[in-house]
Order: sequence, then structure tokens, then C-alpha cells
Amino acid sequence: MNYHILKKDELDGFIKKLSGKMKVVAPVARGAGNFAFQEVSGASEIALKYIPTILPPKKYFMPQRETMLEFDISGAKPSDTAVVDAGETAVFGVHTCDLAGIQCLNMVFSERPRDYNYLRRKDKILLIGLECGDYCDEYASCALVNSHMPSGGYDLFFTDLGDRFIIHVHTQKAEELVEEMGLAKAVPADMTALEKVRAHKRSVFKKEVNVDPRKLPAIFAAGADSKVWKDVGARCVSCGNCTNVCPSCYCFDMADTMNLDLKTGVRTRTWDSCQLEPFAQVAGGENFRKERSERQRHRYFRKFKYSVDKFYRFFCTGCGRCTRTCMADISLKETLTSLVKENV
Amino acid sequence: MTNASKTATKPKVAFFDFACCEGCQLQVANLGESLLDILGAIDVVEFREVMSEKWDKDYDVAIIEGSITDHHAEERIKKIRARSRVLIAYGACACIGGVNGMKNSFELDEIRRCVYGKDFKLFDSVKTRPVHQVVKVDYFVNGCPIYPPELVEVLKCALRGLPYTVPDNPVCVECKLNENVCMYDRGVSCLGPWTKAGCNSWCVNNGNICYGCRGEVKNPAKNAASDVIGKYKLSAGLIKNKFEMYNKCKEGDINGGK
Amino acid sequence: MKEEIKNSNWKLRKGTIIAAKQMTDAEKWFDIRLEDGELDHEPGQFVQVELYGVGEAPISVCSSPTKRGSFELTVRATGRLTNAMHKLDAGDQLGIRGPFGKPFPVKVMAGNDLLFVAGGLGIAPLRSLINYVFDNRRDFGKVDILLGCRTPHDMLFGSEIGTWQKRLDLNFLCTVDRGAPDWKGNVGLITTLIPGVTIQPERTFAVVVGPPVMYKFVIAELIKKKVPERQIVLSLERHMKCGMGKCGHCQIDHPKNYYCCKDGPTFTYDEVKESKKL
Repeated sequence: MNYHILKKDELDGFIKKLSGKMKVVAPVARGAGNFAFQEVSGASEIALKYIPTILPPKKYFMPQRETMLEFDISGAKPSDTAVVDAGETAVFGVHTCDLAGIQCLNMVFSERPRDYNYLRRKDKILLIGLECGDYCDEYASCALVNSHMPSGGYDLFFTDLGDRFIIHVHTQKAEELVEEMGLAKAVPADMTALEKVRAHKRSVFKKEVNVDPRKLPAIFAAGADSKVWKDVGARCVSCGNCTNVCPSCYCFDMADTMNLDLKTGVRTRTWDSCQLEPFAQVAGGENFRKERSERQRHRYFRKFKYSVDKFYRFFCTGCGRCTRTCMADISLKETLTSLVKENV
Repeated sequence: MTNASKTATKPKVAFFDFACCEGCQLQVANLGESLLDILGAIDVVEFREVMSEKWDKDYDVAIIEGSITDHHAEERIKKIRARSRVLIAYGACACIGGVNGMKNSFELDEIRRCVYGKDFKLFDSVKTRPVHQVVKVDYFVNGCPIYPPELVEVLKCALRGLPYTVPDNPVCVECKLNENVCMYDRGVSCLGPWTKAGCNSWCVNNGNICYGCRGEVKNPAKNAASDVIGKYKLSAGLIKNKFEMYNKCKEGDINGGK
Repeated sequence: MKEEIKNSNWKLRKGTIIAAKQMTDAEKWFDIRLEDGELDHEPGQFVQVELYGVGEAPISVCSSPTKRGSFELTVRATGRLTNAMHKLDAGDQLGIRGPFGKPFPVKVMAGNDLLFVAGGLGIAPLRSLINYVFDNRRDFGKVDILLGCRTPHDMLFGSEIGTWQKRLDLNFLCTVDRGAPDWKGNVGLITTLIPGVTIQPERTFAVVVGPPVMYKFVIAELIKKKVPERQIVLSLERHMKCGMGKCGHCQIDHPKNYYCCKDGPTFTYDEVKESKKL
């Protein structure tokens, strides 16, 4: 049990000291009720009370567009170099739902064959969590998937105790940082205050969908042909918003770009979405998920069924982004509720 | 490894304009550094905006701006096509008819009378068509104006004999990757959800909405408009009206014409 | 800070085309030698072919691993990469990633009879297995090969197939959807050949590769013949972009949501019969 204390008015100094050592990114208000992780140089820029950002912090682990390979065909033999462009970065203020998302991606990309671009970036990131004392909004379903309470996946974890933060120090890397910053150790009164925050959370955060989550994979298996998918498909715009904002979605596309010299170029990895019409199409023309209903079903299965079979956990982190961002108002909670009702 | 690198002489490239504002030519002129690189790879033989010379042989690449709006234009584009190995349509006017297409919402004679007065019969005019509805187009560079990096990409493909595929995904895809605040969250309707991507959500990145200048995706969401309007409490006419600006030439939309 | 990743799984193996031949209007055959030695594949696996600046495409290896020194691909020109590849000839270079995927279960099949059913380009991946079986012929029982294509003109590996017809250690049957004036063989869908084949279903493995539309009908015929579901082996087609079970494009709508590139492309019918599409 290693807890330290940072007074609220010392946060600015903490961020400034940290940004002297590495790039610091944190949630920043972007207007119209939106937030985004971006580089900050002081505490005043940071939105400590924020609803999940437009894009989750996965963008620091797996950037939207990333150069994987540089090549040169000017010589007698073509040559190529696999590259990663990763710098030391502290990601500050990550909610437990997004920490869960990163834990999902860690499993995916460390599975063989490993993705060294992801793993290298991960090594260079210092993750600083920030506890939600209350629900962000009605779209969240973090209690259903049990991601509302901290359960690892961070270096440091901040909980707001009013005039101060209590910080759980979880890794050696973080321990050294805290020592260097000279943060005071937490005293029993701090621990009592922390327990009070958690008790409040236990009374507020309740399963958002009336179902035993352990039964969800079976409910999905039974509901593969449910009319729920038709209903959702009829509304879907196929804009890919739901997957692009999802903290545990990681599908991608690869493409080559030639420089204007027509001799050198790069292979780039770009986020892709299973919701887009060409996603499952083969060169011969056959499209294995032509219908929006099939694509939506696929997305939900990847969160509640397949991931449980393969990684023993939900890949839905309950952040609510897919619902918040859906142009056509497709709601994850409503979809689950309808599916559960059909299968009781 | 490619054929292009094996050819010693630079490809002859000509720019032509039809009914348009010549704004896309301006984008080419404004390409800056990459323009110099492009000029190193090609030989521009005709470009009305910047040179007066004419070329009497065949073109390796003809780059067409503007839509086809009268009989004279139709004959002219057919002649250009016959002389060109590769034909690129660039800009909304050439690719989807663009703002010129608004004319198709009215009776032709009615609109001629409005524009040319009582002697309107003296002035030739036909329904607006994008270039590909008259002759076959090999590459499309959508947008009003074109997104310059996309033009460069298409040129590279054309020079290397590779196809360029316009993404058949909505602009929202790129807009999200750029982490813009959704225009609908700002209370403004935007055509991103129905419009073909490829512009890197250029307008929204700069605080504007998407006007649909790149044309609709192949399979736009039919029912979505009412859900979107419902969610964001907008009036139904708003989205429809915005579509009228660029997307009025979809009749008989076959590459190469009928 | 940009750094090199020496052990990246995205690095390419350099290959040189040592022979190439246009087989039909749409299909071209390539023999490729890798700079770093053998491809080291097993029958039924595929590679990602890369042309710098063009992109990548998954292609089944059509030669048997028993052939050393080089490996073969048969490529249909359908997309950006495959069309560009058709412009290549002997001496040209390309990049290879792989081999990828689960191979045909040759060890399980050993000692049993084999019934090969190939439709169209399906003969390409199947050829890697057929030639493997020929090179290890005494390890397998009776062998039947059924081949179907659209027209006689579309038939791949024509001269090689000519030698199959003469072999005494296998039974070869062929049919075309539409005949031609000089065609004296069967005309009709490949399903019409199955009832005429004599097999002992309990000791037969049926290996079926063809276009997605073919599977349903061929499998129905095989089940009529009482071939057990776990002895019907398929190779499924999906868009395999990374080959590493990550990019998501090839995932199959099945309760187990297989990644075709990693859990497949070969499956027993038993494994994939619950798929929404084969």
C-alpha cells in the first residue's frame, strides 16, 4: 500500500516538473461539451472534471496514422526499414474505463506475432489515472463491465479528496518519480477519506443494464439472429464513429504512399472500422458483411462475446463513447437491454 | 520496378477548363513546393491560367476542370478525350457537376430566360453533366476546390499506371481521426455522414461544415437523416437543402456516358 | 524519436521472380526465390506479396513444400496489387511476408483416402497439397481429384493436369460449366461429379477449395455421401490484410469469430458450419 499526497495547488508544479522531463498530455476542454487529450504545460489547461474525450488515449499507443516501414527502390535492390516514432510521454488524467481499454489493447498487441510498434510506445508511456467520483453522464455503463473502480493498468492513480489528491503509486517507475517530486506519504486520515470516496461510488454506480454480466456472452450467442441487429442496422449511418472512438477497437488498414521522387515511400497503418462498407470485401467482389445489421452485430460481438472467449474479458469498457458519438442515436445500453429482454 | 521509372521522356500533361470558377487551377498554382516537384516529373504543355502555348500532338495526361453545360463543350471534351491517354477530372464541377448542377433543379428554358433574358434561344445550354457522363474518366479528384494533397496522390498514381480509389467512406471517418468536435454537437448540420472522404476533413478541421462537395458515398444511409435530425433537434429541410448545392447531377451516372 | 525496429513483423523478405507465365487471360503464374532461403511453408498456407509503393495482397502458395529452392504463386488480376503484379516478369523483385495461416491437416489426413474438390482458382492452394501428397504418395490411401472451371479456356495448370490424367495412383475427373467446340469432357457444375465417385466415407478426407458460392452445394453432396463433417476440409476466402490476426478484416461471422488468417484459412466443416457465410 503505497499512497502519496499532492495538494491541489501543487498540481501545477507537478505538471510543470513532469513536462520538463517528458511530453505531458491531459484532457483539455474543446468546446460544445467535448474534451480531447492533448499536450499541456500546466494544470490550468487541464480539465479535471471531464466526460470521456472524443478519442480515447489509445491514440498514444496506436496513432491514427503511423509509419511502419520506410522503403527505397532507387538502388539495384529495394531496401526497407521498419520504424517506430515514439517519445517519452506522460498521459495524465486517464479514467478507469480508458485504463481498461489500454489493458485490452495490451493483450491484443502482445499476443504473438507481437506488434513491436505498439509495445515500444507502451514502454515509453507513463500512465497516470484519475478517479471518477460520480457518473460522467447517462451514456456510461462502466459498472456493468466493472471498470468503474481502479484495478491496475496505471503507474500512478489520482483520487480527488477535495483539497488534495491521494495518489496510488503502482510501479517502480512511478515510485522513483514520486520520490523525486518529494510527495508526502498519505496518513491514515487520507486513507479514510479515500475509503469514503469509494463507498460513495459503490452507492452511486449500479449495473446500468438489468442483467447478470456473466450471462452476456451466452445471451449474445443465443441472439446472433435477433431482430435487434436489424433495428440497429436500419439506423446505422456506417460512419465508423462508434469504432474510431472506442478504447478497445484496434482494426487497421495498411497502405503504401510513394514520395514525389517516385523512388522512396512509406507503409502506413491507419485506423480502420468494421462498420465501413468495404471493410470485409475481398478483391473478387464478395462482401462478407454487406449489410449494416451484420456489421453492427459484429461490433457488439467483438465487445461482449468473442473477447470473452479469447481474452476472458469484455472489450466494452463502459465509457459510453459509441453512444455519445452515434449520429443516429444508437445506444449501447438500449441495444443490450433489447437483446437481454429477448433472451430471458 | 514500375513502368514510369523506365520511361525517359517526361509525360505531356495539359490542363483544360470547362464551366467552373477556375478555383481548382488556383489550388494547383498554390501547391508551392510540391508543385516544383511535380513539374520536375511532368511536362506541362497546356495550362491556360499560366501559359499561352498550345500543343498539337497527343496528351499523356489531360486534367479537366469544370462541367459540361452546352453542346460546344460536349464536342470539345470528346476531342480532348480522343487525344488523351489518361484523363483526370478534378474539382466538383468536373467530378459530380458541382454547383453548376443546381441548374438541373429547374426547367432548362426557365433558367435560360432568367439568365439570358428574352433572347435566351440564342444561347446554347444543356443540362449540366460531370465529365464522366460524357466521356470516360480514368481518375477523379473530388472537391470544391480540390484537396491539393489528393491531387498530388492521384498524379503519382497516374504517372505510375496505378489506380486511385476514392475512399467510399463518409467524411466522418477522417474527421474523427482528426479529433474534431462534431459540428452536430455545435448545433450545426453537416454533410460529413453522407459525403465521400478523401479530403482529410479539410473543412471541419478549419471550423467549417462539410458541404458535400465530394459527392455522396455509394450507399448512403437512407433512414439516417431522420434519426440525426431527431437526435440533434434540427429541421428536416436543412440537410436536404445542403445536398442541393453540389449533388444534382446523379441521373444516368455512368462512367463514359450512356 | 524515430528508431528502427529490427525484429518487426512488418519487415519484408526479399524475393526475386525466377520464372513467370501467363496462364489464362486473368491468371499469371510466378516462381519466386527468396534471398534468405526457403519459404518454409506447409500446404494450404498463404503469403502477403508486397510491391513497394503499391501495397500488399494475400496469395495462396500453389507449390508443395517438397519443392525446394523456390515457391510458386498463381495470381488472378482483381485488385490494385494483383494487377500491378501481372506486369512483373522474371528478374523483377518483390517483398514477401509469411507464410501465414493454419495449413491443411496433412498429419491427420495421412493413412486416409483423399477426395479433392477444386473449383476455379481453388486449384491453386489445393495444388500445394496435391503435389505434397504425390511426393509422399505411399502415406495416403486412395486419391480422387475433381476439378471444375467455367470453360476449358479457364483451366489452370493444363499440362500438369494432363499428367495427372495418366497417373494410375489416382482418379481424376474434370468438368466445365460451359463447353467449347474442342472440349470432349464433362459439362456441368462440379457437384455433378460427386455422386459418381466411389469412396469409403469413414476413411475419407474431402478437401474442398473454390469460390464461396461453391461450398454449400459441394458440402451437401459430400454429406449425402456420409463423409463426416470433421473430415471435410475447406479453405475459406477473406481479405487477410495483416496475416497476424490483428487488423480485423478477415474475421468470420461465427460464434468463435475466427480470424481467417490465423485460425484458418483451412478449417474443417465441423469448425465453421455455424458461420453466417462460408
